[in-house]
Amino acid sequence: MIKLLLTLAFVGCVTLVTLLDPPLTATREKSGEGATVLAMLVGDGRRMFANQFFAKADEYFHSGFYPTIFDEQKKDDDVTGAEAKAGGDKGGKHEEEETFLGQPRDWVERFGRHFFPTVHTHLENGNQREILPWLRLAAEMDPHQVQTYLTASFWLRSALNQPKEAEEFLREGLRANPDSFDILIELGYVYDFNKNDPRSARRLWELALQKWKRQEAAGLKPSPKAQVEILDGFVRADKQQNDLPQLLTDLEALKEVSPGKEAIEKDIEETRAEMVAPGAGKK
Amino acid sequence: MNNVLALAGIVIKEMYRRKDFYVLFVMTALISLVLGSVRFFNDEQIVRFLKDICLHLIWLSTLVIAITTSARQIPAERESRTIFPLLAKPVSRWELIAGKFFGCWLACGIALFVFYSFFALLSASHEHTWPHLVFYQALWLHWVLLAVVVGMGLLGSVVLAAPSSTTTISFIAVLGILFAGGHLNGVAANMRGISAGLVYGVYYCIPHLEWYHDARELAIHGWGGIPWLYVAGATLYGALYTGFLLGLTWLLFRRKTLML
Repeated sequence: MIKLLLTLAFVGCVTLVTLLDPPLTATREKSGEGATVLAMLVGDGRRMFANQFFAKADEYFHSGFYPTIFDEQKKDDDVTGAEAKAGGDKGGKHEEEETFLGQPRDWVERFGRHFFPTVHTHLENGNQREILPWLRLAAEMDPHQVQTYLTASFWLRSALNQPKEAEEFLREGLRANPDSFDILIELGYVYDFNKNDPRSARRLWELALQKWKRQEAAGLKPSPKAQVEILDGFVRADKQQNDLPQLLTDLEALKEVSPGKEAIEKDIEETRAEMVAPGAGKK
Repeated sequence: MNNVLALAGIVIKEMYRRKDFYVLFVMTALISLVLGSVRFFNDEQIVRFLKDICLHLIWLSTLVIAITTSARQIPAERESRTIFPLLAKPVSRWELIAGKFFGCWLACGIALFVFYSFFALLSASHEHTWPHLVFYQALWLHWVLLAVVVGMGLLGSVVLAAPSSTTTISFIAVLGILFAGGHLNGVAANMRGISAGLVYGVYYCIPHLEWYHDARELAIHGWGGIPWLYVAGATLYGALYTGFLLGLTWLLFRRKTLML
């Protein structure tokens, strides 16, 4: 009797697996969550690990100079490259600024500060590569965290001159996040800055703008900064292709949304002047 | 002194006869070598990630060796009743404690040397340079920390009933200090009254093992060496704290009834 029950239980288990596995696998594939070893081991808790790994990349970017959970957080995520984009290279030391460490409270703390990094520096001269393993792991853990792909691509295509790897990683991110216009913008940069292919870059940015507009129409409030970046990309591509009529159209569109209206107005005037000059413009 | 050295020699022999060290070393080496063979974005020069993981494993392994070795010394002698002929030699109880301590500490030193040699070879094979000064300082500070940990293990083995409870409590204490020990002053600063005083008291009384552990970060990220004055200061602090723990162990052990 017991043997019969055990056999029945085993057959029941096998039947349930064959019934439940196909829909579960389909759901997983639909959500773009491949069954990687790490994903299987950690389960849904991997999103928490992804944030931790991204923070670890930032810690590496500062060569170990990083606040713990006990320190006052002055979060700036330097690793994302936002500073470098906006203000050029900020590599090297900037120790004059006030850091999260503050003044030591007692002799134990004062003495202990000689045993860990206490100077705010950024990785430079190609050493930015050291953050990449953590970004790779963060993407494995949470493929839907778009910032991970953008950050890795920024350093790969700029400081490390590895556009091929940047493109591969971005395309991987695009497969997991097909609606992300940010990834398409970054992919456009790879084609524009590294591959010197403004035509392909423009096509990618056009696709990004479509996705941006679709999200805006759906009331998802996409970042206005992204729209400026896309239109700015259009302008750059037009200039590279010397397509003056298109450049004028894109400058007009950029003027509508950009905060730097005066500079764009000046650009528009210059373009108009160039268009009326004999032999100017390719179309 | 001869008695102390003879006892220490027995502890060292015990370490290389047991499988603990070999298992931990093979695991550390295997995990590190597998990770070392992984290429991220086709870049062969990435090394800090590997150094970080390898040093984490080394820290974990050496803490396991130090705590388990020191926690079982005196209980094992009592259980096998070898402590009676040992103390009748004559070996004083102080010599027994000192012998066990030096044995455990030197055994940890041998293990550390093997682990760090592997680490140096691994990082040199990726970086194509030999480790800098801070690597040797990190190794030394690690060994000084293990002296305090061994002292804690021996004290626990005299106070607590079983080696398993000593091991568990020592692990919790060491990991707790490494994680939060250096931040208790910050916690106390946000408190008021007696509770703030208590937290401050704990902050000053615990061994500040985080100093020794933090040096790891300097080695991973290739910072310059620590000024020797501070290395000497940390060594003196570690020696004093270890002396205090061993003295306390001796005080408790001196009055302890050894009958089971």
